[in-house]
Amino acid sequence: MKRKLIVLLVLMLLAFAGYKYIYQDHRDIQKEQAEFVVSSTSITKEFLQKSIEAEKKYLNKTIEISGVITEITENDITLNNNVFCQFSSKITTLFTTKDSITIKGRCIGYDDLLELVKIDQSTIIE
Amino acid sequence: MMKKVTYLILLLVSLSITSQNRYLTKTGTVEFEASVPSFEEVKAINNSVTAIINSETGEFAALVLIKGFRFKNALMEEHFNENYAESDLYTKATFKGKIIDFSLDGLNSEVKTFRLTGVLTFHGKTKKLEGLNLNITINENIITISGKFTADASDFGIKIPKIVKSKISEDITVSFKFELKKK
Repeated sequence: MKRKLIVLLVLMLLAFAGYKYIYQDHRDIQKEQAEFVVSSTSITKEFLQKSIEAEKKYLNKTIEISGVITEITENDITLNNNVFCQFSSKITTLFTTKDSITIKGRCIGYDDLLELVKIDQSTIIE
Repeated sequence: MMKKVTYLILLLVSLSITSQNRYLTKTGTVEFEASVPSFEEVKAINNSVTAIINSETGEFAALVLIKGFRFKNALMEEHFNENYAESDLYTKATFKGKIIDFSLDGLNSEVKTFRLTGVLTFHGKTKKLEGLNLNITINENIITISGKFTADASDFGIKIPKIVKSKISEDITVSFKFELKKK
């Protein structure tokens, strides 16, 4: 009887662990510590000059980027015309172009059509 | 001196022409689905797609950063990136082509159908898309282009392992929507 109970408990634990593995949470970029802290100009330079190395270094990483706002819409901010930061929800803080800002987000790659580094799941640091 | 000025004027004029005809978006949507009925949906959305159209010639280009595809299920997203799309190696998908007989004249808020022909590159493989139907409208100077097509996973060198074959469709439905603004 006791043995059966233990077997059942182990099975339940395994099922729970399996469920947790399959339905694990997404990364929470906002809570992650940034791996790199850069300026929008320096990261763009890296992508322009050594695109493959830069991709390896930054792709899918959480980074903190500072720059001057050149374009702002409801859901995204462009820094120095070369880093495009997308937010998952509407930007509530009021900013205008020419404001200096630091943004944290995940680098999803380099857009060579518009020569932009693209960042998603952004949050405003300051 | 005169010659230089003429050249400069010519250059400026041609520059202004090219920029006037350019409509673009940085936040276009591309969605794909490879679900099999009664199994968990295999579906992802990317809403950071860049697309550009030259309204004069109908030339159209799009660029999709693969890491930007988001799944509901985080593990599925990880598997997609690591085992299927290999997004560390093939970071982007691109499309370059032309909308046949495209013209801004006659476009309005009513949907008009056009045909698109061009090449799609994804996962290191290139495939020609021919005569793809596009729905196009223009409203307050924003051109909206949408459409959908079916792609075969094997055309792009993507192998679906036997063990999950019953849960992932080989035919992948890709749909897209771009709202392009004049730049």
